[in-house]
Amino acid sequence: MKKELIELRVNGRIHELAAEPNKLLLDVLRHDLGLTGSKRGCDDSSCGACTVLIDGIPMLSCTLLAASCQGQEITTVEGVAEHGGLAAIQQAYGRWGGAQCGYCTPGFMMTVKYLLANNPDPSEEEIRNALSGNLCRCTGYEQMYQAIRDAIEAERKGLAASSR
Amino acid sequence: MALSEFQLFRPKTIQSAVALLAQHKGDIQVLAGGTDLLPSMRQKLFAPKYVLDIRGVEELKRIRVLAGGGLEIGALVTLSQIEDSEFIRRNYPVLRKAAMTIASPILRNMGTIGGNICLDTRCLWYNQSYAWRTSCGFCIKKDGSLCHVAPGGSKCWAVFSGDTPPALLCLGAEIEIAGPGGTRRIALADLYTGLGDTRLKIAKDEMLTRVFIRESMSGYRGAYQKLRVRGSIDYPLAGVAVIVKSSGRHAPVQDAKVAITAVNPSPMLVVGADHALIGRAVDEHIATVVGELAARTAKPLTTSALTPEYRREMIKVFAKRAVLEAAAG
Repeated sequence: MKKELIELRVNGRIHELAAEPNKLLLDVLRHDLGLTGSKRGCDDSSCGACTVLIDGIPMLSCTLLAASCQGQEITTVEGVAEHGGLAAIQQAYGRWGGAQCGYCTPGFMMTVKYLLANNPDPSEEEIRNALSGNLCRCTGYEQMYQAIRDAIEAERKGLAASSR
Repeated sequence: MALSEFQLFRPKTIQSAVALLAQHKGDIQVLAGGTDLLPSMRQKLFAPKYVLDIRGVEELKRIRVLAGGGLEIGALVTLSQIEDSEFIRRNYPVLRKAAMTIASPILRNMGTIGGNICLDTRCLWYNQSYAWRTSCGFCIKKDGSLCHVAPGGSKCWAVFSGDTPPALLCLGAEIEIAGPGGTRRIALADLYTGLGDTRLKIAKDEMLTRVFIRESMSGYRGAYQKLRVRGSIDYPLAGVAVIVKSSGRHAPVQDAKVAITAVNPSPMLVVGADHALIGRAVDEHIATVVGELAARTAKPLTTSALTPEYRREMIKVFAKRAVLEAAAG
């Protein structure tokens, strides 16, 4: 199949590359751009391991054509760190063991980033509902909820800024 | 699994989208949110030569309150947008309640109202990998001549599994369809054929562009209840939408509608449910009667992992619960 030139804006950088029209965003991110944070889990759009932000909104990169995402801002887990340091939520995941095998973590990170950007003080129910599209086979949800609460608290106290 | 090869079009206007549909009629598939089409393309249920990505048609991404009253929803409005719309929450709560039960929050960010209305029908024997289907000798809906659900029959019983259409049927929604000759407007109820394979009365060179809800349908209280295996991912295996209009919780019902999904090849209004409800204050008994009417309308077969008997029973249970919930406001 003929490759076509496409232009993708990922984590603030513009990439020009040649890709087949049937190529999925996940494959372009991982294979063409070397951004292997986003993971292929179920491959049928039920697990959320491939979640990225498209114009700030969480979507599944395994269910998007790369060429369809031209002109949009794509954010992957590699773009979550702030000012060269780990973001508050990444630090909190480390403190609380929010990542066990770690495979689902990049997808969860993107969902949590979106949640906290739009709702800085979510209730327990809102957190659980927001995360319901991401699956963790280690079943380590409780530590994640704790990490999220911790990150919210850290943001509030400004600890995230002082520990950088 | 890799997608088959195709050429991708990304039109910016309805006119150019429809022109491409007409030019490549039969060899082209419309792609909006992609949550229905792309997984099916992986399973080789579709191998179109051309894919028409309409995500760039900006004018179809709006929810618009019309000057003369009522609401217009563009086909590309996402299910999350429906969920977040304060106007819909206030005026057409049944639609919001149905939309917010669909799949997961991430999939609702992708899936569109147009896609939910035009959703492909689903069946245990159809939504499987190519290898799986090969080993069963395929089925009547795709690549084969046998129906595993109703052997000996020639009708496809694959089930319509959209959640918003029963809500929209209750609200008497209309849809706009664009084609080479311009647009036409029909009642949503007239879109569906009742057949599992050729499910929509929409020509190969046409596409759904807008949904309209009349102002007179605002102010109904609503409820949506559904059955599924995994609460945050799966398609419904039975779903019931109810709208009720009355002056208060214990006041007699002035108007009502009940519709069901995921138990027939199309979403269906429950005939007689309005008569059972109108003029009476809702109680357990009336809700039970409506549940029985809904179960009679449902024709579940072995299209899913759950038994037809269970799904029919759950239609009864959910219809009763939804009537009581809607009446309670």
